[in-house]
Amino acid sequence: MHTRRQASIAAVLVVFTIVAVVGLTAGAGTAVTPKRGGELRIARIEDSQSFDKTNVFQNESIWLTQQLMEQLYAVGRDGRTLKPWLATSHTVSNGGKRYTFRLREGVRFSNGQPMTAADVKFSLDDARAQSKGWGFLDIAIKNVQVRDPQTVVINLKYRWAPFLADIALFSNAIIPKDFAGEKRAEFYKHPVGTGPFMWDKRVVGQSVTFKRNPYYWQKGKPYLDSVTWSFVSDQNTRELQLRGGQIEIDEFPPFNSIKKLNNTPGITMRLFPSTRTDYLLMNESYAPLADRNVRRAISYAIDRKSIVRSVLFGFGKPANSFMPPQVPFYDPNAPGIQYSMAKARAELAKSEFPEGFKVDLQVGAGEQVDNAIGQILQQSLKKLGITVTFKQVDTSTAFANIQERKYQLGFSYWTMDIADPDELVTFAVDPKGGGADSFFTGYNNPAVVKLSQQAQREVNVAKRRALYKQIQRIAAEDAFMGFLYYSPFRYAFSKKVHGFVVYPLGNYHLEDVWLD
Amino acid sequence: MASVAVSAVEAPVVAEHRGFRQRWYRTPSFVAGASILGAIVVVAILAPVVTWHDPVEQNLVNLLQGPSWSHPLGTDDLGRDIWTRLVYGARTDLRIAVLAVLFPFVLGTTAGLIAGYFGGRTDTVANWLVSVVVAFPFYVLIIALVFALGPGTRNIFIAITIVGWVSYARIVRGEVLVAKRQEYVLAAHAGGLSSARIIGRHLLPNVITQAVVFAMSDIVLVILAIVTLGYLGLGVQPPTPDWGRMIADGQTYLTTHWWLSTIPGIAIVVTALGLSLLADGIADLLRPE
Amino acid sequence: MSLAGYAARRLLQMIPIALGVTLLVFFLIHLVPGDPARTMLGTRATPERIALLHEEWGLDEPLPVQYWRFLSRLVHGDLGASLFYSVPAGRLVMERLPVTLWLIGLGTLLSVAIAVPLATLAAAKRDRPTDHVVRAVPLVGLGFPSFWIGIMLLLAFALNSGRAFPVGGYGEGFLGHLHAMFLPALTVALAISPILIRSLRASLLEVLESDYVATARSKGLPERRVLIRHGLRNAVISMVTVLGVNIGFLVGGTLVVEQVFALPGVGQLMINSIFQRDFPVVQAVTLAFTIMVVLVYLTTDIIHAALDPRVRFD
Repeated sequence: MHTRRQASIAAVLVVFTIVAVVGLTAGAGTAVTPKRGGELRIARIEDSQSFDKTNVFQNESIWLTQQLMEQLYAVGRDGRTLKPWLATSHTVSNGGKRYTFRLREGVRFSNGQPMTAADVKFSLDDARAQSKGWGFLDIAIKNVQVRDPQTVVINLKYRWAPFLADIALFSNAIIPKDFAGEKRAEFYKHPVGTGPFMWDKRVVGQSVTFKRNPYYWQKGKPYLDSVTWSFVSDQNTRELQLRGGQIEIDEFPPFNSIKKLNNTPGITMRLFPSTRTDYLLMNESYAPLADRNVRRAISYAIDRKSIVRSVLFGFGKPANSFMPPQVPFYDPNAPGIQYSMAKARAELAKSEFPEGFKVDLQVGAGEQVDNAIGQILQQSLKKLGITVTFKQVDTSTAFANIQERKYQLGFSYWTMDIADPDELVTFAVDPKGGGADSFFTGYNNPAVVKLSQQAQREVNVAKRRALYKQIQRIAAEDAFMGFLYYSPFRYAFSKKVHGFVVYPLGNYHLEDVWLD
Repeated sequence: MASVAVSAVEAPVVAEHRGFRQRWYRTPSFVAGASILGAIVVVAILAPVVTWHDPVEQNLVNLLQGPSWSHPLGTDDLGRDIWTRLVYGARTDLRIAVLAVLFPFVLGTTAGLIAGYFGGRTDTVANWLVSVVVAFPFYVLIIALVFALGPGTRNIFIAITIVGWVSYARIVRGEVLVAKRQEYVLAAHAGGLSSARIIGRHLLPNVITQAVVFAMSDIVLVILAIVTLGYLGLGVQPPTPDWGRMIADGQTYLTTHWWLSTIPGIAIVVTALGLSLLADGIADLLRPE
Repeated sequence: MSLAGYAARRLLQMIPIALGVTLLVFFLIHLVPGDPARTMLGTRATPERIALLHEEWGLDEPLPVQYWRFLSRLVHGDLGASLFYSVPAGRLVMERLPVTLWLIGLGTLLSVAIAVPLATLAAAKRDRPTDHVVRAVPLVGLGFPSFWIGIMLLLAFALNSGRAFPVGGYGEGFLGHLHAMFLPALTVALAISPILIRSLRASLLEVLESDYVATARSKGLPERRVLIRHGLRNAVISMVTVLGVNIGFLVGGTLVVEQVFALPGVGQLMINSIFQRDFPVVQAVTLAFTIMVVLVYLTTDIIHAALDPRVRFD
């Protein structure tokens, strides 16, 4: 009796020990601790033009400046919510015209200086003043005041719904006041900020290297010692470099490589939800395209599903609105026109050009996806009696032609800069307000313009949503552009890379990344 | 600079014409080259007979297929039959290449004849012009011209002509410089024949041979230039099938479906082979026995 | 006329040519549609922003004025600054030049190493199977575009079999450069060797069958001596000329190879600056290329003149 009891106790103890040991070791295995150190090498399709965050429009420059300089509020992983970043909180007063920001304590620039409200005021005033740059996004600001070293007050001229999203724009990131004693142009050649990394070196046309910021406010981060972006324009070479271990991240591999890269040992292929939307632009200066029925016919003739399947290899989604799904107030039920040849014919019959017409399609040279889609479009429209002539020009000329409205059909796309629909909507449907003639199409529907301007001032979320829903509906029915597809950001990277996440606006937070 | 003749041959060439007609079928290079080229040209002409698909007809469900009975070389990234596009591409490319060599040939030969024969001021100016164009980086000029003129095959002709005439001018001028000191020219001159007669009747047939030989290899170079333009996205406009375009379109697929770029490449190599052999053959024939 | 005099005269002739080239490129690049301001601003370009950039860059003045400014700065050795990178254009070119020189130099060396033995073989076995094979096979290098050859070489030697070479890039240090430049130089060499082989073979054959050699042979000189002594000399002359033409073509023709192997060379700089309409850089690159090409032709002309006394009357 005594022995059996001892035996059972012993048995239980043994079992318990085994379970405990197994549990502990299993826990130690799954508790993944980031490793410190290492150099991350990224190969990309373009080289950075400049690091002047207030005047540069190129994504490949913007995404890098964001590693050096940070904003008061930052966009979250869903691409929509705004999180406190260099500011910890804010209050709104004076009928929505005054924002008071409380700054985070203990934040320092990479040169060791502490960040104070004076730096914030200087940065925002500098950004606002850039009339040929991003200053336009800050026009609602009347003034910026320093209340105390940890508090900044921003007074607006009028109620402005997108304000917090605008503050989170990369252009409004915080730099040391008086450019840390340098001249403006010199400063922006190697900017100083509060970001996880600081400037190291650059070889123009080849590579840019940043190294760890020892004063970074998020303790323990960044994990990486340094990051280098190299410019490798040939996509096959980038892929081979990744497979050969010369780089860790390959930016934008072509769609047809995705499946293969995914199946390559040691490599992960990730498709991050993005705000990128691609469009077929229809210039209303060309008579047939000013006809609403013609535009609707063309839109009906675009077989988006087929395009996604064959050109994007399934890695995309047909677009139903000119706004992408990640943007606040996107309407998943917006009646964007989808494929139907029967309806296309019906629309064309109702138009002023029932027999069809000739039209030029401008495509950027080297844009493989646009080229393929253009050829598919050429075939579809031929069935309607619309003869499409390809005009392949280099990208610079293509840009110029589109902006000067010297094209008939053309391709373009948009990625969001802020977590608010206003910038895109104004650009796309408000010919004067957006300064771009409604995305260079000349579309002018007074009802939509009015709705857009209303939505800018409407701070009530529910009411705003209703306004944007209407805008999307009318825009879809007017078919002012052919909404083509939404596509993800494509990155292939080595399995040694952890924590690499690309946000819907295209930026990434490298302070979260670590290497095996 | 242009005073250096490309060939170091200086020999009376009047006798060669008779030899040519009698010897061509005994010159292996010539026969081989002509056969290969002839085969390609015949296939290109008979395109509708040897192919059974439409070169621009897409089939988005049947992309990137491997070889099959219906598609002996498979389908491309938009489901079009590769064999058909290869054959129709031959038409496009041969036509473009021949024309893009013909214009510079005519222009350059004329310029070379005039500059070489008359010498003096004309020659100096022509020399300067040739040197400027020659010194200019070839691709910078071509690309800038294609940009300036806009897309389209016609503008490619113009660009290549503007750049390409210089080689012929140099060659012909070099030959003329040597030939005009020959007995028969001096005799004709002394006999009171007009310059035009001398140039057209006596000089031209004798100096043209080197230019013709060069033209053969120039055709290959032109096809390659068009392929490079295609790589940069500036070549023949879709949906016209063209080897350069096929190679450029296949570039994205090099690591997954490598044959898309390779097949048209092989076609170019075979054409280049034919042309090289032909050029060698002509050069062989024209060399004095 | 002495050799030195010939060389001096040629050198002097270089100046109006270089000027002619700068004039040509200046007006050409400005005639081309597209605007660097628009490229920089992308979708957010507005007339006001464009005008501001034009003013900043001095692009709002009439063309002749701009050309005059360019020339007067050029005389002081100032080539202007890149519109996009804000660094002096001349410095950009100088930084990239070594890469391209490596490529052209090593490529030419390799092509000669390939061409000479093959051409000699072909000439010696004229019209026999060896001859045909030797002349046909290198055409693969000519027919396939360089990006195809480049990627295939990378796949074969940089990736699969033992990672013998790096995948693109320039490397560090002399040996590093040699290692990294081998495959790209090979790509270049494969492209130009067919032409070299053919012309070398042709001139070898010409010499072999010329009276001069026939006489030497009839005098009883050994075959090999005949071939080497007289054949090679003429062959060198013609090869020098053809090489000169090829190098001239290569200058600026390496851009595709540079793109494929991610080499930060002048060719890549050129293509990017043309696409972006970065005028000062395009001008600087063209000037650099022109000088290189002119020097190459000058050198080949001088060598030719030195070796072949027949060519001097002009």
